[in-house]
Amino acid sequence: MIHQISRSAELTTLSEFRKYIALICSQHPEVDENILYDMQLAVDEACTNIIAHGYKGMNAGSIILSMEINDDYAEINLTDFGHAFEPSRSPAPNLDAGLEDRPTGGFGLFFIYQTMDNIDYTTNVYGNRLTFIKRFNNNV
Amino acid sequence: MDIKFIENKIADTMAVTGSIDALTAAVLTDFMLLKVGEGHHNLIVDLSQVEFMSSAGLRALLAALKECRNKGGDLRISGAQPGVDKVLKMSGFTNILKCFPNNQEALASFSE
Repeated sequence: MIHQISRSAELTTLSEFRKYIALICSQHPEVDENILYDMQLAVDEACTNIIAHGYKGMNAGSIILSMEINDDYAEINLTDFGHAFEPSRSPAPNLDAGLEDRPTGGFGLFFIYQTMDNIDYTTNVYGNRLTFIKRFNNNV
Repeated sequence: MDIKFIENKIADTMAVTGSIDALTAAVLTDFMLLKVGEGHHNLIVDLSQVEFMSSAGLRALLAALKECRNKGGDLRISGAQPGVDKVLKMSGFTNILKCFPNNQEALASFSE
């Protein structure tokens, strides 16, 4: 079963998406707190990027969050209709930097790569879609 | 997100409740920098009631940490819950600022 909501690409949407993810996951006992947080974090970071950059210079648009959960993994899709953004083109933050050189940006994508097992990004005339897979079971 | 400010001779505590994301982090940053500007250079940020923090929260903490240290003080974390603690560890922030399980230990560390 696919669960889906659509919200405007504004910062107030971030907490709504977190709550929605928690609500869906509450129906699945195989999703523990750590997995839930990882999914909320990945979605939060991705949406923050879409909100900050995706609709720049355009009328504010929307983001569609859809989730599908089975016994072994969750698939999350984020769809927007703004500028395309290629995740793999952003450099990783320097984790060993001293205080003065410590980056303040770039952690969003890094956290997505750290927490999600598979990441896919497709863009076409219908929109941009970011897909995350989060596995629950290490044996899968 | 709510912030309670508790003054103490050794170090002041900023008890945060709720979530620190790209929406709420700006409020936290402004408040922390305001307090540092008022002369509160030793700060404990109590995250025990923070259920969620993203990289936006790291930016807020970093901005305040730099200000505290520039003024001869420090900013330390107490009570980070598992998810928030993971964000601090993944980013390497636990290498640049001190984290404690509770306020008592964080406060005691300022006396050392």
